[in-house]
Parts: sequence; C-alpha cells; structure tokens
Amino acid sequence: MAIDLDKCTGCGACAIACAQENNMPIFEDDSDIPKRVSFLELMKVTNDRDAKYPDVEVCYIPKMCQQCEGNDPKNPKPPCVSVCPVVATDVGDDGIVSQVWSRCIGCRYCQASCPYEARAFNWWKPRYEGDFKNSLNPEVSIASRGTVVKCQFCSHIWKRERDRAVENGVLDINAVTYTPACVASCPTKAFVFGDLNDPDSELCRLLEKEKDRKFRLVHTIDEKDEKTREKLMHIKNFPNPKVYYLTSKAWIREMMRFK
Amino acid sequence: MKKIERKDFLKIGGGAVLGGLTGYVFSGAPFLGMQWLFEWTQDQHVPPGGSESYLKTLCEACPDKCEMSIRMIGERAVKIETSHSGCPFGQNALQLLYHAERIDAPLKRTGKKGTVKASAFERVSWESALKDISVRMNKLIGEKKGHLIAGINKDYNLSAALLDRMLKAAGSSSAFYEPSLKSLTQAALGGYVDYDFANTDYILSFGARLLEGWGSPCAMNRAFVDWKKKGTKLVHVDTIRTRTASIADQWLPIKPGTEAVLALGIANILKRMGRAAGGYDWMAVVNAYTPEKTAEITGLQVKQIEEVANAFARARNPIAVAGRGGKGVSSSSAEIMAVYALNAMVGSRGAVLKRTAGLGEPALSANAAASLREAKRHAGLDDFIKNGNFEILFVNEADPLYKSAYGAELEGKLETALVVAVTPLLNDTALYADYVFPSLSFLEADTSAGSAPLKPYRKAIHAGDAIIGLAKMVDDIKGSFPWNAYVDLVKTYGAPIGAGGVNYNAQVLKEFLSSLEKTLKASEEFPLSLVPVELTFVGDGDGLAFPFVLKSIDEKTYSQGKLWVQINRDTADREGVSEGERIDIESSRGEIGSVRAHLTDTVAPDTIAVPLGFGHKAYTRYARDKGVNPKEIMANDIDPLTGAANWWLTRVKIS
Repeated sequence: MAIDLDKCTGCGACAIACAQENNMPIFEDDSDIPKRVSFLELMKVTNDRDAKYPDVEVCYIPKMCQQCEGNDPKNPKPPCVSVCPVVATDVGDDGIVSQVWSRCIGCRYCQASCPYEARAFNWWKPRYEGDFKNSLNPEVSIASRGTVVKCQFCSHIWKRERDRAVENGVLDINAVTYTPACVASCPTKAFVFGDLNDPDSELCRLLEKEKDRKFRLVHTIDEKDEKTREKLMHIKNFPNPKVYYLTSKAWIREMMRFK
Repeated sequence: MKKIERKDFLKIGGGAVLGGLTGYVFSGAPFLGMQWLFEWTQDQHVPPGGSESYLKTLCEACPDKCEMSIRMIGERAVKIETSHSGCPFGQNALQLLYHAERIDAPLKRTGKKGTVKASAFERVSWESALKDISVRMNKLIGEKKGHLIAGINKDYNLSAALLDRMLKAAGSSSAFYEPSLKSLTQAALGGYVDYDFANTDYILSFGARLLEGWGSPCAMNRAFVDWKKKGTKLVHVDTIRTRTASIADQWLPIKPGTEAVLALGIANILKRMGRAAGGYDWMAVVNAYTPEKTAEITGLQVKQIEEVANAFARARNPIAVAGRGGKGVSSSSAEIMAVYALNAMVGSRGAVLKRTAGLGEPALSANAAASLREAKRHAGLDDFIKNGNFEILFVNEADPLYKSAYGAELEGKLETALVVAVTPLLNDTALYADYVFPSLSFLEADTSAGSAPLKPYRKAIHAGDAIIGLAKMVDDIKGSFPWNAYVDLVKTYGAPIGAGGVNYNAQVLKEFLSSLEKTLKASEEFPLSLVPVELTFVGDGDGLAFPFVLKSIDEKTYSQGKLWVQINRDTADREGVSEGERIDIESSRGEIGSVRAHLTDTVAPDTIAVPLGFGHKAYTRYARDKGVNPKEIMANDIDPLTGAANWWLTRVKIS
C-alpha cells in the first residue's frame, strides 16, 4: 500500500470506513484513547518542535498495521509473529500478517513488540448497543474480551473476492483484486493498494516513479546504501513494512529519523 | 442362520462405534459444537448472515448528487461504498441509520423541559401529535396571530422549503436558517456563490478551510485532486496553520479577524490597475486601505499583499472565496461583500451568484394577511432569538440552542412556547421540545433518481411528509399544499436559478470596520484572541453523536474527558501556561472552564484556537457532557444584513 500524504486532507473517512467494515466495538467514550480499539489511527503531526510560527506545517498520517515482513521476504518474520506463543498471528501466502482473535490468549507480547503501535487490546467486551448490531459485518468475527486485534488489510474482502472468482471459474489467484475499506473510502484517492510482487501493478509503478517522495514509517535502514543495509541486516531483524508513504515535505521525512 | 459369536458381536459393535465416530468427526459437528461452546462461554455476539446484495441510491446532501452503493446482508445494511464520491460524510450514514438512540416514534413531552432523560417523553401516534399542534395553529391564526409561528431550518432542502411555505401561508415572516455558508452568503449578496473550483487557476481563500468540510466537500475534493495536475494555485488566508493552510501553495498568516481588511487592501491595489466594483461610496472606503495601512492592520507585509493582488489580477480565471471556517462558518456580511467584490473587479467567471428555486408564494387567507401586517422582520436567526418572540416554533433538524451564541437567551424563550423539533436524534434544542418528530436518514428517503433503498426506521417519516400532513389539518394553510407527500416534489425541487446583482452596502461596511477596529485593539483586560478550529467529522457539533467519529478524534483535541485548546508557545510562556495545564478562558460574556492547553506554534501569537462541536447537553450519550461549548463565551455582535452573531473573533483572557 502507498499513501500520498500530499493528497491527504486529514478528514478521517478512512478511519470511519475501517471501523464500519471491521466491526469496531462501541464504547460510550471512544475518545478515551487508552481504552480505544481501532485499527487505523489518524495521526496529526506538525513540525513545530523545530519551526516557529508562521513556518510551521500540519500533516496527517493515517497509520494502520504496516504488514512487516522482516529481513527476508521469503521467510517473513515480523516482530509480532516471532513473539506470539500460540501462533495467533502469522504471515500467510498473501503476505498479510494475520491475527486470529479466537486463538489469542491476550499476553500482549505482540503489542509490546510492534514498532508502530498498530495493535489494540480489548480491555472490555466489545458492545454494540441497540440497533448498532444491525450494521455488523458477518465476515469479521467479533473479538472477545482480553484479545489483541489489528488491521489485516481487510483480508476478508480478499477472501470474498477470491471465492467469487472461483465461482466464476477463475482459478488464478493473482487475477483476484480487491480494495480494503480505507482505500475505497478515501475522497481524494490518496491511497493506492496493489501487489508489491507484481512490477506491473499500479502500486509498483507509482513507487518506482516517486523514489524521491517515498518513505516508510521510522525505518532508518532505508536511507543507508545497499552494503550497509546488508551488514545491518545480519545484526538485527528490521520490520521491513509493506506500507509506503509519499510526501514532498522534507520535515516529515526528517521526523522519521531518530534524533 | 449362523450364530453370532461373542467375538463377532464385539467386532460389529466396535465397527459401529468407529464408523459413528468417523462420521461424527467428518460431519463437522464437533467443530460446530466447539464453536457454539466458545461463543456461549465467551458471551460473544455473532452477526447473523444472509444473502449479500447491493442497493443503489443518491446522496442529495449537495448538488453533486453522488451515487451510493449500500452493501446488504439479508435485510441489514452493513457498509456504504462510495467509490466515485469525493465526499467523506457518506461513511457516517449507517451510524445514524442504526443509532442506538434513534427516535422511533413521535414523542410528546410529559416531564419538565430541559431534562435529558428519555422518560420526559411518551410515544404518541402521528395523528394525535399532528392534531394537537394543528388545533394550536388554527387558534393562533384565527386570532390573526400567525406571525407568532416561527421556524428554524438547518439546510436548504425540500423539507425546509415546505416549512417556509407553511409559515408564509400562516402569515408569518419568521422562517430562518441556521447561519451557514449558504445562508450567510444569501443574506449578504442576495444569492449563494457557485464557485467553479474545477476550472479555476487561482484560488484566494479568506479563511475558508476548503479541505476541512467547507461548502460541498464532494466537489471540492474532486477538484483538489486535479489542482496539482493543472497547476491551480491555492492561496489561503488564516490565523492558524490548519491542514488547508498546509496544503495551500501560499499561506498568508493574518492577524485574527482581519480578513475583510485584507480584501479591501487587495481591492485598493486592483483599483490602481483600473478595476472597480461596488459604486462610489464603496470605492471611497477601498481608497482608504492602502497596502501600507492594510499591512499594519493584518500583520502581513506590503510586498506579500501586492504580490497576491498582482497574481490574482493576472490569473486567467481567479476566484476569491469568503466564508471563514469549515462546517461552521462565521463571516460578517461586510467581509462577504468585500471578498465577492474582488471577483467582480477581475471579472471572474468562476464565482456565479445563484439561488435555489423555491416552491413559490402561497396564497394568503384574510387572517394570514392580517397577521403578516403585524409581523416584525428580523434580519436573521440570532437577531430573531434576541429580539423576536414566538408562541409556536418549528425546529427542522437545526440545533440553535447549541450552535447559536444566543443559546442561553433561546433557552428561556423555548420554556414558554410550543416547540416542535424534527430530528432523528434528540439534540440540545429537542430537550425543550413539546413534540419531537423522528425524521429520516438519506438512505430511507426517496431521491430524484428513484425510491428509497431502505424502509423508514420504525415510525419515522420524512420531515416533508410531517409538514404536509400538518399543513393539511390547518384551515388557512391547507389550500397552499396541494401535494400528498414529499415524493411529489422530490424530482422537481432544488433547481438552481440565476440571482440578481449585488448591492454593495457601503454603510454596512463602514460600521463593520469601525467595530472591528475596537475589537482589534488589545485591551488590558482581554489581551488574547479566541478563534475556532474544527475536526472535519465533528464539524460544528453534528458529528459528535456518532461513536466512530469519537474514535477518530486526536488526543490533542479531546481525550479522557477534557477538551484541549491550542496556544502559541511564546504566548503560553508569557501567560505562565505549560503543556497539558488546566486553564479557564474568560471573555466579556463569561467563562469556559477546565480546558487543557496544548502549546503549539501552529497558532498565531496572542491567539487561542478552540475546537468547535464539543460541550453538548444532550445529543445522545456519545456527545453529552464532552468538553465545553465555546459559543457560550464567543462574541455575539449581530450583523445587520445576515442577522447572525459574528463569533469568529473573541477577545479573551486566561484565568
């Protein structure tokens, strides 16, 4: 996935579409951030640490699970997968880091190991008061209390589209395309979703074209040259996320470095 | 027959048990059983399945009329898909449709006014509710007091046009609209401005936060995507570095509240290039605002102003946009005129005045004509709340008690009148209603393209049908309502027509400038300026009833029961305020207490930015008692043309 931050107006439609699609629990005060369960967080960032009025700027960064794959894409080892004691989270053939709510025992190791704070913990039983129950999506199971949940790039839509393709006699798995809820809802089309393994996909062509604008969330290794990268990868497992951000603002890229 | 040996018997028995077990395992029953057991032990809700289908409808909230697709599972709507829409707000529709506190039947008040509890109401039938109200209306009109019937609408739509017509036919001149971009512009210019954002090459926005819910977000977002490709330039004038200001190609960090002065300063430069608009008296005012004087008042540099004026004049099809804010707009009529005059000066083709064709003038009965002669005219809603009186008030989706700077004054007047609120959720104003009529979400309403995709929620009906039904029961009015239902009008209503020329009122401008001068003077008592900010989905309060909107609020706007205001770092240092500190903000009107301070340089020096949309007294358990409503202390000078309070800039102090 690639998200063009220059096009993002920070409206929050992605977060709301995500909550609707993925049966987010409803609490009386969901603005209570420690209690909040959501897959997609709309982060507001400014450069006012380094700049004074009127040289400041504001930008929004939609942040969801970055679907890491670790140093070796052939043998993906995201930070969360290697710590899960019950294989509740794993990387499937589709490259999506899955999370099975009903398998989770709530140890929260994965939440602690996630470099992007992309995981949420159900401290309370998810509730859907009154008629809110009517809008629940049957393809996403309701998590029980004490489990960790996270974004899976709406992989249930992928499965739905795959089944539909099979019904129509299409058996080539690569021919199946789908769009996650956040991507479909973006009013300014800031999200681009596609297959990173297919060099002809719109996503790959965009990332190829936008080399100067693309970056990944706090992934310092990206700035190093090939040799240093390899050397560092022998020492440490890097998350290597599959979500790219595009921006023309130098200060946003600057923020991604540790200072 | 062979005798069955003991050994054979055991073999057969064993085989049967083995076969049974194998069958049981392969039937999937144990897995299903386990699943049931888990669901039961974990008390887990399982959404019922059903066949999948997609329904289509139009969203007619704005002139773009986006096509919406609703994903259905059986009878349940589970998702709104808007792949061709530029509008973010469609995503909220299901939360209204299935809201836990949606009103399911007409309610009649039995308890005290102003109580939050649902037990203050009882469910009644539509017939008895309409009959009771019509008796009161018949009596009032019969006494030639039809002018004491008033109405407040939220948007310009069909139900609002029907309510307007009903009030007119009753002999009342009190049909008002909540201050919004459209209503303020119509009052100031005689029509709303239809901006052509798609084909302009230079946009000069005077505080209009174009990409944060302003105007019609659908057309705006679609145009925005193309601006970069086409090289359209956006110049944004604002006190706060909002997202729109960050996206803009150029940002003019102006002193709060001085947008109108900048417009006059630019007009002054355009005049030297031989352009004119607005007549002799108007241009005389413009003459006084030389670039130097403008720079001094607005805090910008002379060079900046000249550059912008030159670029604006040189552009192929420039537009100047008035209407400060996002969803909640506050601009004085003088400012709207001053900004629109820039369009006239450069002969912009991208800013055209339009009006919505109404339902025509109703025929007046003798009683109605007599009461219309008695009617006092008010310029707009806040003027009416402050100076007007009424015995029956219809509130059509509006929430003036919460949104108006005169909410407290209105509260007293609502106590004694018969108040009818038309709304799907119990908002702050509905707390004082004698009758609450449940209305529909757009998914349940017929559109010009066809019938509604979903059935109305329980006993809820379209606001237009409630008004037609009521009008038909009132003797002096029923002749003006030949329609049976709103669907008779849905196809024809809403066509835009051209509006006449603008009357540039120099007197209003002069009065505004002299009062602005007084406001801008930093007083010892109130050294700081308070200006509003908004989150797109919260807007000026309408979004807060939706739980998924609460989920998307950032921690420096509202978190854990506290509203955050943004203060410039240096100013906070001077005032002795530190990050996260609890402060009170006081204006000449009063005080809002216990907000937290977030220090940030995105806000101009000596300025506090306060989020709108919080501090509801009601509006469902999700919005109730969350933060404070800054309108309580915001400026409330009433504009002579729009009749709305100009609350954008308020002088305050931290206490």
